[in-house]
Amino acid sequence: MGTINSAFSIIQQALDANQQALNVVANNVANANTPGYTRETPDWQENQPLNQNGNLIGQGASETGATSQRDRVLMTRLDQQQQLVSSSGSRLTSLNTLQALFTVDSGSTSSKAGDIGSDITSFFNSFSKLEATATDNSLRQGVLSAAGTLAGDISNAAASLNEQRSALDQETTGVAGQVNSLTSDISKLNVQIQSTSPSGDAGTLEDQRQLDITNLSKLIGINQITTENNGLAITTTSGQLLVSNGTSYTMSTGQVGGVTDFFVGNTDITSQLTTGGGSLGGYLTARDQDIPNALNSLDQLAYSISTTVNQQNNAGTDLKGNTGTAASPLNIFSQPTTVAGSAASMSVVMTDPNQIAAAGLGNGTGDNSNAVMMAELGSKEIVNGQTPTNYYSNFVTTLGSTVSDVQTDNTAQTASLTQLQTQSDTLSGVNLNDEASSLSTLERSYQAASKVFSILNTVMASILNLGEQTTVS
Amino acid sequence: MRVDPNYVTNLVSSLNQAQANEQQLESELSSGVSITSLSQNPTGSGENVLLLNQIQQDDSFTQSASLVSGQLQVADSALGSVVSQLTQAISLATSANNGTMNASDVKSVGNQISGILNEVTSLANSSYQGQYIFAGGHTSTAPFSTSTATSPAVTSYNGDQNVNYLESPNGQKIQLNVSGSDIFLGSGSNSVFGALNSLIADYSSGTVNTAQAVQDTQALNTALNYVSQNRVTIDNSMTQITASSEAVTNVQTQLTTAQTNLLQTDYTTASTQLSLSKTQQTALISLISQLNNASQDLFSKL
Repeated sequence: MGTINSAFSIIQQALDANQQALNVVANNVANANTPGYTRETPDWQENQPLNQNGNLIGQGASETGATSQRDRVLMTRLDQQQQLVSSSGSRLTSLNTLQALFTVDSGSTSSKAGDIGSDITSFFNSFSKLEATATDNSLRQGVLSAAGTLAGDISNAAASLNEQRSALDQETTGVAGQVNSLTSDISKLNVQIQSTSPSGDAGTLEDQRQLDITNLSKLIGINQITTENNGLAITTTSGQLLVSNGTSYTMSTGQVGGVTDFFVGNTDITSQLTTGGGSLGGYLTARDQDIPNALNSLDQLAYSISTTVNQQNNAGTDLKGNTGTAASPLNIFSQPTTVAGSAASMSVVMTDPNQIAAAGLGNGTGDNSNAVMMAELGSKEIVNGQTPTNYYSNFVTTLGSTVSDVQTDNTAQTASLTQLQTQSDTLSGVNLNDEASSLSTLERSYQAASKVFSILNTVMASILNLGEQTTVS
Repeated sequence: MRVDPNYVTNLVSSLNQAQANEQQLESELSSGVSITSLSQNPTGSGENVLLLNQIQQDDSFTQSASLVSGQLQVADSALGSVVSQLTQAISLATSANNGTMNASDVKSVGNQISGILNEVTSLANSSYQGQYIFAGGHTSTAPFSTSTATSPAVTSYNGDQNVNYLESPNGQKIQLNVSGSDIFLGSGSNSVFGALNSLIADYSSGTVNTAQAVQDTQALNTALNYVSQNRVTIDNSMTQITASSEAVTNVQTQLTTAQTNLLQTDYTTASTQLSLSKTQQTALISLISQLNNASQDLFSKL
């Protein structure tokens, strides 16, 4: 009897265990498309066997829970790669917008509009044309209009760059709020995980924590350090602490030098974040490095052209016989005071074409020697040791190469990310075919166990009847 | 061995990439330009700037050269007329010097030479598009005027010595004018006006101081040669302009070809790539729809 009763209890446990395992499978199938969900496998445990007079008698099995199938090392690698991809991706988007300002002039007259290289050439050509007849009014007007086009295109490009910089700045400001909500969520999850399962995988809670970390990796560059009792510390790539077990440190923003800077406490971590990764890293690189570099190049160009042309015009005689002086100079462009900002403020101040000093100093007004000098400025090394055209050509090549490099990096990193994601999904993703076959297997087990149960029931009835005709069936 | 249950997502991202490539190729084929952004060909973009600069400079020079040619031709024809006037003056003077003329004939020669002086003065005051071409840099006022206060009269010059040059794209400087003082008032015996005024004075009374008149006629001859030499300068400039223009146009043609090759779409390659891309897309789409087929799932078989 005792043996039959223990058989009954073994089978009962088997039925319960199968039901619990079915629950795990059902949970997997239900969460097949939940982001961040890691598939779980039921844990089977053989029950402690009974020792009867030296004989070990098995006590069946029970289902002790579910184990999430995750590889922590793989997930950390995945997060790191995500940071790189997000960083190069957002930097690439910004750079593409930047380089669209400097379109490639195909040489046809219609595409000349807006190309600074052509404007530079046309401007110095207007002086060459003036050489033919220095007194001709329409040729003089030509000089002023070419100057206007050049100044307009350079100042427009600089204005667009400044606008892009503000737009990126606004983009970055929003990120701090998102980071803070993620870090505080992670810290709360840390507390829960440490209290519920300090020595093992915490299942769904870990899934949520991992999802938060993945989303955080898309935003900024982070390092993860596992601490005792299944806790977690998160720092920026340069080591600034953001989460330490149950405590999260808020990131705040503030205006420094006209742009938004990021602080944890009183420490300015903006430069750390720029090189750290994540989409914030990409935006900050574009905002603080790529755009300022382009602006600086334009500033150099504008400053050099404006100052040298003005200087040359004041070294000659205009059509009315006047020469520019320090008190009343004959400037074609507005004279810039500093290199910084000279591109945005480049403009033509001369309105009277007679004030173009085509004649040499003290010469008659029909002389063209100063016009020759001004035309020659186009082939002189007046911009940082290069001619204006060479300078612009190098600027265009450098910018194009930078964008091309970031594009290549992003493509390679994305391919790598896809591979890692595939590996991770292979292990942790819910494969519906697997779940279907598990379902089938468990169903059969259940059927088998319940069949055993009904057989045991019949045996029990026989025992109860003890050979008599059936009073119990 | 386990498989990635999300592989269809990867296929979809490949499909997106293929579609993006197709759009890029289509825009290349329709615009005819192979480089639409700097990052597609950074060195090419930089080279393009330099080539365009050169081409536009050459183009601008060709335009200036044709403007300048007109001015040079006017100068040349003015000097040609001066030469024929002076030749006539010399032949008149020679006939007056041989002693066979009477006083009124001599006076008549004097008057004719005076007429020639006026003609030469107005030629020396030639203008082109409102600017006096033999005035050096002072092109807004007529350079030559004669004062009869003294005898012989004095023709003076209000211009300067300024010479203008046109610079070609390769740095060659072509002279655009000769100063009036050089041509007509050259020092010593080169002075056209000096000789003419002296001859007029010589013949004004009707009596010829033969030695003086012969000397002045000689001076006029020397001055005539000097004018011809200056005319050669103008002619040289005209030849240089033509030669430079031709050379520059040739260079421009070559550079334009280079620039076109740099930027132009290679239609053959682009079309082939486009057709490959379209094929790839069709394959991916049919693959994705096959894989998404519900009957592939084990659940549907249970």
